[in-house]
Amino acid sequence: MEPSELKTQELHINMGPQHPSTHGVLRVELVTDGEIVKRAIPHIGYLHRCFEKHAENIDYMGVMPFVDRMDYVASMNNDQTYAITVEKLLGIEVPKRAEYIRVIMAELNRISSHLLAVGTYGLDIGTFTPFFWCFRDRELILDIFEMASGARLLYNYLWIGGVWMDLTPGIEEKISEFCTYFEPKIAELDTLLSYNPIFIQRTANVGVIPLETALSYGLTGPNLRGSGKKWDLRRDEPYSVYPELDFDVQVGRGEQGTVGDCWDRYIVRVREMRESLKIVRQSLKQIPPGPHRATLRRVQPRAGEAYAKTENPRGELGFYIVSDGSLTPYRIKGKSPCFTSISALDEICRDAMIADVVAIIGSLDIVLGEVDR
Amino acid sequence: MRTYFYELYQSLDAILKGMLLTAKVAFLKKATIQYPFVKRALPPRTRGQLFCNINDCIGCKLCAIACPVDCIYITANKKGPTEEVNFTSETSGKKPRRFHLPQFDIDFTLCCWCGLCTDVCPTSCLYMTPNYEFSVQNRQALIWQFGESQKPGPKEDFNRPQDQLKLYVA
Repeated sequence: MEPSELKTQELHINMGPQHPSTHGVLRVELVTDGEIVKRAIPHIGYLHRCFEKHAENIDYMGVMPFVDRMDYVASMNNDQTYAITVEKLLGIEVPKRAEYIRVIMAELNRISSHLLAVGTYGLDIGTFTPFFWCFRDRELILDIFEMASGARLLYNYLWIGGVWMDLTPGIEEKISEFCTYFEPKIAELDTLLSYNPIFIQRTANVGVIPLETALSYGLTGPNLRGSGKKWDLRRDEPYSVYPELDFDVQVGRGEQGTVGDCWDRYIVRVREMRESLKIVRQSLKQIPPGPHRATLRRVQPRAGEAYAKTENPRGELGFYIVSDGSLTPYRIKGKSPCFTSISALDEICRDAMIADVVAIIGSLDIVLGEVDR
Repeated sequence: MRTYFYELYQSLDAILKGMLLTAKVAFLKKATIQYPFVKRALPPRTRGQLFCNINDCIGCKLCAIACPVDCIYITANKKGPTEEVNFTSETSGKKPRRFHLPQFDIDFTLCCWCGLCTDVCPTSCLYMTPNYEFSVQNRQALIWQFGESQKPGPKEDFNRPQDQLKLYVA
């Protein structure tokens, strides 16, 4: 056969659902031309658990354990969002102490979630040690949560109207102990991973999301901040006691490559851990005595609707609740940040190498439990 | 050529720095424990297996209502007018027990350890123990009985005639 008669053909490759770098069960269908990815089509739904339909059949309090299971590495933040939405619907005031406990727990959970994201990102890229170190430090946060709520992963601790139980005696010392322990560990992580030339070579200029693309896809959280937009709901649309706390919003500046590349998204997460430590320290100082839960006879809001959103470790999580005045919600819709992140995957992966797809998915930091709900 | 060697030097430098950090950790205390031989000390609030002290239960069924997965099965029969109404213990607030409770089953295959049932219990007779090691060979052994005149443990007799709520037993 003449060489001119030979045809090239695009090759479809299935990545997943059991691919280790997809952080869950995600199947990405890659249309490849040699080693270049032409299209990446994410197929989701492997972890669908009917959260929204379940929620229509249980009372408002009973939805809380299901909310935990949406983004299972940041349960406290999910709980906070749901609780804020229902409180908005009920029109009740939460005691100050409860708000501070919520902020402490949410920020600690943000650190633990970022630790998991950073650690497993290193694992995707091919380095092993940071993963173990991150999990070792994450364990200490889980110990604190276990002390407070009794559970290690699905806490169900921030309740409608406050928190379940008051802080355990001695937990404040443990939290401040953790803060002093953890600060130097971030510096260690910087030496080991963030400013490692091999890691930078692998992530800088890879998977660049320009700001316009990020905005048009509605990316939120570290993915948007990695593209250079200074947008943080804690600062721009403050909820809870965040206005009383002092912290910076970290953005990607393209230090190692282009603004909005994988390294920028990664470093935003690492720097946010420091900011979260700052918030935890301030909250521990400012926490007032008082009741930890508002007295509620029963959670039965009047007919109406409410939407509230908060800054989760992965972006903007929102709940839209419609109530018809009965004991169970009429409709709950969860707006998940991971779902919007994954919708941009095709655009980011276009004309990237197959090996970079792993780096891109890891840098988006998706949790499939929240994508599918 | 020069960049090639420079990059080689950079990578070696990075590996060396990382190895030095890792070597330091080798002399620190181990973060892991050998689980079946060494066990972690659990805090008192640990949410493990549920336990019901049936002598303090007043049969209000609040726990069964609060349960989001409906894993608590209670049969409560009102005591007759001639029957004696006893009271719960001092620590539970001395509440009258007006019901016979022949069935108080918890299906641990469904339980999601959320702890909502323990919060609503007015006598605190339903609580979570720190026990987390109760894996069994067959599914039925995870359905526990706490009813009156029953030994707390895996259910022995399924779907007796006096049980109003029937359990699904495959």
